[in-house]
Amino acid sequence: MKATPADPHEPFNFRGLQAMVVAAHPLAVEAGLSVLKSGGNAVDAAIAASFSLNAAEPFASGIGGGGFMLLYLAREKRVTAVIYREKAPRLTRPEMFEEKGKDRDEWRSTSGLAVGVPGMLAGWDLARKKYGTRPLAELVEPAVEIAEKGLTVGGNFCAINKEEYERLLKNAGEGSCYLNNGLPYEPGETLRNPDLARTLKRIAEKGVDEFYRGEIASRIVEAVSAKGGIMALDDLAAYEAVEVAPLQGSYRGHPFYTIPPPGSGVYLIELLNIIESWPVESWGHNSPDYIHHLSEALGFVFADKDGYLGDPDFVSVPVTGLLSRPHAARIAGAVRPDRILDSYPPGTFGKRDEAPGNTTHLCVVDKDGNIAALTQSINDFFGSGIVPEGTGFLLNDHMQDFDPRPEKPNSPGPYRRPASSMAPVIMFKDGKPFLSLGSPGGVRIFPSLAQIIVNIINFDMSLDEAIEAPRFFFSSSGDRSQAISVESRIPESVLRRLEEIGHKIAIKDAYDRFFGGAQGILIDRGRGVVYGGADSRRDGTGQGY
Amino acid sequence: MRKFSWTVAMVFIVILAAQLNAAQATELISLFQQPLLMTSAGQNAELQIAGILAKRAGLTYAISKFAAPQELRGVKTLVLVLGASMKGLGAAGLDIAEEKGRVTSLVEACRKNQIPILCLHLGGEARRGQQTDEFVLACLPSAAVAVVVKSGNTDKLFSRICGEKNIPLIEIEKAADCLGPLKKLFKS
Repeated sequence: MKATPADPHEPFNFRGLQAMVVAAHPLAVEAGLSVLKSGGNAVDAAIAASFSLNAAEPFASGIGGGGFMLLYLAREKRVTAVIYREKAPRLTRPEMFEEKGKDRDEWRSTSGLAVGVPGMLAGWDLARKKYGTRPLAELVEPAVEIAEKGLTVGGNFCAINKEEYERLLKNAGEGSCYLNNGLPYEPGETLRNPDLARTLKRIAEKGVDEFYRGEIASRIVEAVSAKGGIMALDDLAAYEAVEVAPLQGSYRGHPFYTIPPPGSGVYLIELLNIIESWPVESWGHNSPDYIHHLSEALGFVFADKDGYLGDPDFVSVPVTGLLSRPHAARIAGAVRPDRILDSYPPGTFGKRDEAPGNTTHLCVVDKDGNIAALTQSINDFFGSGIVPEGTGFLLNDHMQDFDPRPEKPNSPGPYRRPASSMAPVIMFKDGKPFLSLGSPGGVRIFPSLAQIIVNIINFDMSLDEAIEAPRFFFSSSGDRSQAISVESRIPESVLRRLEEIGHKIAIKDAYDRFFGGAQGILIDRGRGVVYGGADSRRDGTGQGY
Repeated sequence: MRKFSWTVAMVFIVILAAQLNAAQATELISLFQQPLLMTSAGQNAELQIAGILAKRAGLTYAISKFAAPQELRGVKTLVLVLGASMKGLGAAGLDIAEEKGRVTSLVEACRKNQIPILCLHLGGEARRGQQTDEFVLACLPSAAVAVVVKSGNTDKLFSRICGEKNIPLIEIEKAADCLGPLKKLFKS
């Protein structure tokens, strides 16, 4: 087997013959692979890897957060989605952030009001009971071991730990388990989390109900209340994850599935629908024409996102209109090849319909061909910074994902789920799944996923080449044109041309985690090989057999 | 009296700095007076680390993310924590030019009011780069002393500027090690 290159940014596809796990930390990959090797399926392995990420990559996801799971069930030949996005507490009011005035953003991100009712354990439990094969205690075990024995932290952890130091100091104090003697961790130091180990053991022993109705629930409510929040025990007890039908799209003859609202799968499909009509191959990868057209398309797609996305249980999202080919053609036709537009108005649709049927990423493919693609998050790095006393886990700040303005589709409201940018994908070729993909990265998620898909389908890149290739991002804010954010590897000549057309440019690092940390699995049935691609913008890695 | 102390201190620094290497520079005991005002040059997260270390050193200090010259009233030392954070600048709604304007106005006010500046760079290699270097070049030449995490000085930028300006430079292994110099450098 080829050794992983010394330069983490050099494209490298992990190889397996039957199965593969890719995730944002090697210990999570090991946990998933161990479950697969002992006979567990993709769902079991994905849950074990997720628990382990809570211990090994605690700043990005964990039981205090929520997410989305996309599953391909090989025997039934169908895709299903599990949504375990956080919900707003019952006492949530649409104007509760707006009325905080200049302190609004602080309340939305680092206070008790920022914390949504976590859905992670409910989602994993739903998936495990319905599609998994292993007991909860077995899946928790590797995470307990990591938390107890500790792990050596690397540069990525330390950089993020430092950036979020103020958040941790504010809500967890110098005694936080996520600080080393009150200071951010330095590379090479050991992070141990005995509190988390105890919490996970307790959940393994007493079941997920312990989190939603037991002692842990009380600790959560106490911690949230102490920081000005409104979550009650009833909110936790009422939480339910749901299984829903996925959304289906198609790009260049490849059908794919993704998650429905409140996730952003609908906007990934819309963007790919627009791109599909353009001659991107003749423009060239990351050429001025390519970046210009995709950026302009993103302007319109974000206008649609701001205008329509919300919790489909409470607002009507015009999914059919947004996904229609005429809508995509209107946007594609509106983009001018030689100049930027002054505004990006959202689409207008007739009768709004219901969604059909219905931030770390990891993927697992098992030997039977089942696939699990999970995008999960606690929102900002280190979430709200609030750790319920003695539990060792971080609570999310996903209430920040609500539009703070009242009377918007995504305004806060009782039991509502905030709109999310997450959008895991499973794509098919010749009737069989061939690509599973997802990424963290906030609003950059679906634009990054679209670029990776185009890299693979249009530019014939290998999976990890497609993941590591330079990225860019653009969004419209109201009708005002923002800068295109680009990784510094995009050549100066391309940037100059974009400026000539009228774009503003914001240059990011060469491999900037701003653009996410995608993980993917590509199944090459012709060669009988399963490839794993893991993003070097974070600590992504993979392993197969 | 304040003016006199500062003049004596400056003479002390200049004489020593011409001859001192980094290890000897740790002998700069009680050079600075309290209270101190701490701000970052570049909206970095290390400002909070410096604040915690100042607390542990028992110093009388105030932290101000957006410190302006008028906040220097009654301040005996300005601590500038160098390093540009795009995240921090974004959160503050500032661009590099605006932040540089704020910081240089502080440096200028310190010069006018003879308030000594202690420059810290606690972010190591990860907090180096073109943007950080702009702040280093703008602030470091005005420092009385600099304390730098060693991995942030592998290209010897800090050594070069400090050498040229006769500024004592104290190199430390990691941010937490700044506690020692802070205890020594300030008069209790």
